[in-house]
Amino acid sequence: MAIRMNRRMLMMMAGAGAVSLSAPLLAQGTALRIAFIPQENPEKLLGDIEAITGWLAAQIGVPVEGFVTIDHAAAVEALRNGDADISFMGALPFVLAESEIGAVPLLSEVYRGAPSYTGRIFVRRDSGIASLADLRGRDIAFADPISESGYLYPLAEFERAGLIDGPDGAGAFFGRIFFAGGYQQAMQAMAEGLVDAAGASQYADLLLTPDQQADVTWIAESEPIPSHLVIARPGLDADLQGRFIDAMMQLNEPENRDRLRYLYGPDGYVLADSGAYDGVREMARRYGLLR
Amino acid sequence: MIRDFASVLLATIAAVFLLAGPGAATPAREAPWLPEAAAYRLTLFLGNLEPVPWDEVATAWSEPYRGSEFTLGGLAWLGRESAVDTDRLEAAIAQQDRQAVFAEATRLIALRIEEELERAVTAQDPAAAQQAVRTGRELYRAFADGIAAADPEAARRIGIAWLELNSSTGFAGVLGAGATPSDTDTMMAARATISDYIAQNYLVEDFAPRQTLSTLPEIAALGDSNVEVPPALPPGSDIFDQDPLPLLVLNFEEQGIDETDLPLVAYGDMLFDSAQIFGGPARDLGIACSTCHNRSDVNQRLFIPGASHQPGAIDVDGAFFNPIFNDRRDDPIDIPSLRGLRFTGPYGRDGRFASLRDFTRNVIVNEFAGDEPTPFMLDALLAYMLEFDFLPNSMLTTDGRLTDAAPDAAWRGEVIFNTPFAGLGDRSCASCHIPDANFLDRQAYDIGSVTPAYAGARAGAMDTPTLLGTLYTAPYFHDGSLPTLGSVVDWFDETASLGLSEAERADLTAYLETVGAADAPYEAFDEENTAFRLAFSELTTFASTLDTLLPRRDAAHILLLTDTVAADLAADASTMANLAARPEIYALAERLVAVGAAVRDEDWAAAEESWSAFQSEARALEERAF
Repeated sequence: MAIRMNRRMLMMMAGAGAVSLSAPLLAQGTALRIAFIPQENPEKLLGDIEAITGWLAAQIGVPVEGFVTIDHAAAVEALRNGDADISFMGALPFVLAESEIGAVPLLSEVYRGAPSYTGRIFVRRDSGIASLADLRGRDIAFADPISESGYLYPLAEFERAGLIDGPDGAGAFFGRIFFAGGYQQAMQAMAEGLVDAAGASQYADLLLTPDQQADVTWIAESEPIPSHLVIARPGLDADLQGRFIDAMMQLNEPENRDRLRYLYGPDGYVLADSGAYDGVREMARRYGLLR
Repeated sequence: MIRDFASVLLATIAAVFLLAGPGAATPAREAPWLPEAAAYRLTLFLGNLEPVPWDEVATAWSEPYRGSEFTLGGLAWLGRESAVDTDRLEAAIAQQDRQAVFAEATRLIALRIEEELERAVTAQDPAAAQQAVRTGRELYRAFADGIAAADPEAARRIGIAWLELNSSTGFAGVLGAGATPSDTDTMMAARATISDYIAQNYLVEDFAPRQTLSTLPEIAALGDSNVEVPPALPPGSDIFDQDPLPLLVLNFEEQGIDETDLPLVAYGDMLFDSAQIFGGPARDLGIACSTCHNRSDVNQRLFIPGASHQPGAIDVDGAFFNPIFNDRRDDPIDIPSLRGLRFTGPYGRDGRFASLRDFTRNVIVNEFAGDEPTPFMLDALLAYMLEFDFLPNSMLTTDGRLTDAAPDAAWRGEVIFNTPFAGLGDRSCASCHIPDANFLDRQAYDIGSVTPAYAGARAGAMDTPTLLGTLYTAPYFHDGSLPTLGSVVDWFDETASLGLSEAERADLTAYLETVGAADAPYEAFDEENTAFRLAFSELTTFASTLDTLLPRRDAAHILLLTDTVAADLAADASTMANLAARPEIYALAERLVAVGAAVRDEDWAAAEESWSAFQSEARALEERAF
């Protein structure tokens, strides 16, 4: 769900303790500043941020300020200009931020035991569509053009199957291509029959109703995609960075696991392996997103 | 880009779900509603109750809906987010004018959609345009079920228009990478598709009178067709199972007898979990006996606006479930536990049914609008429910005395429990809650816990409830007005002038908590012993009654079983931890569908064949069913 944030709302929320939707209030060097990216309801996110930053501050020993940016691009901007020290980030925007501003990967999220997941092409069971080739001339919904599992990786499967020649060839292969705005919207469009297929995360069918889940299946799966990360601006004090990482790793301990729900709900964190993102860098290059 | 990967795993937040699939007793989680959309849906739901609870309609707009992630109610939210005027709506609510409230609220949502569409097409940047599209689409969701029911072609056309609109806003990319320009012509055309329909059907100046308030488009309301919107519970409803899930103690099971060897009991177990035995909205919403009585106990979280005054309570003779049984009294009761049911008659909070069979029929036919149950169904339900045992409690002997495991305070409290008091008519607590009779006496008394319904009313007597297992069934009294066992002690101390000291009240409370305790009150789950494994075991046990029903060629009861179990099995697969095994569960459910289809065709050989296939596939799946 998207919530429009007008100026009045921004100002009101900026007054909420150490949590704000506006630019960070504290001067550099006196606190660790973390950028969060809203998923649905910024009001809920503010509560979550307050809970986790309070805990992190106690662990790290310095004030921790959380603030909400409007999207990944704004978070990267905040890292670039020093308004943020740390940000949560998708794999694709991370490799772009790494290339542009030298952002540093710190931690990778773990889901169902792995710091990776896949993208899939979903169809309705009764559609008669059994292979990617069957989608020639048919309509498909993806999540977003800057999405790993909700666009680039599923689309690459068509390339690998020899059906399209790079992203520019997609238009000629499919009937219509939609960017629905998210996994849920893409999956719902497919389940309701508005489109023939949806490209989304391997877990995206869990966003459908139980009855809809029984009516859909998937016909192709991408190679593993490295999971979302926590990244830092270049030049962040090494000691502070280390204490932040130690604190975040504490979230893997049983007594702290319930705090993960304040952080987009992963099963835990592992130290980021920069090499694991080579595939994303390569994908971004191939799709013209990375020089 | 949004953080879409993580959001998938936060399915409970991000999904746009209806509250329940058709007939399956596995409700789906619902995505949060925007404040004004929630208020609108609540208004329609409450406006269909008779009498209309006007104070709740007003609250629907002034307060955040129950469980809302937003801190503001609809009106305050609109004041901050929108230029749409709410004066006429507020005036209509104040005048308690049902049709005017419908018209004003409907127009308000339509105007909000228009407002967001306008913001989308005039936005200065793609991110702002996409936010407006998402908000508009969330608001459109308030009407979507009505359009889908009445005008599927329009629903499809508009659904595609939302996709076109979102796709044509353009994308800013990250640091310029991946940026795409907007397509104004497509945006305008898509906007027009949505706006035209909204204007024609929801921005109507003079709506046709509505017998039933619904989201049907005006064109359907004016037509001759009797289109009905599928029933839905309003925002704030909660029909999910209690968490932690109460432990079910079945007498035969404790003795080591397998339920599959008790087909009547197993069939009754299935009926207890079947929404198919009910009618009206309960069946469509997947509400079954077990929705309120989780695992023979209670469901402390159950809440339906207009029918519940607090969680764990419901008015089953209101307007929603069966209008003909509407007693026009706002009198929700706290859901009672069914543990030890064979010892707790008469039935109903006031003991109005001497017969459990009569009580059960009343629940099915009158409270939840079901068809007359067959004698076999009632026999089966009773056979099952009479197996409900109290929770084992090692601090209590079977004849109601404390054991050495009981704390000292409980021993002191037991003395008070057995002491006669003048304020109790020279009786003790134990006079009615008889320890060696499961802490009840099967009598009804007016203890002053019921406010007389009219001057001179002598209708306040309530059945003595057992104290066993009560530590886990808060709140207390017929209306759930007392939150803790301690508050029950305080209530008696005050109303019956018992004159207990603070220490004595604490001791008496400790005694009640000891009597009401259990060694293991809840189901214990782990990574493989999951809620789905429990459901799988139950559903395959239910299906085992086909071994009895197929040879009897009992088509009606077979179909009730296959319709219930196949739908539940498929729906429950969505809760599996072992995602890879889900397709096999769907295939297994289809075996049962095939049994039903064959029985409908009177092809008994095919039915037997599908049943055999189900059994062997279920056995093969057992290890992976988690």
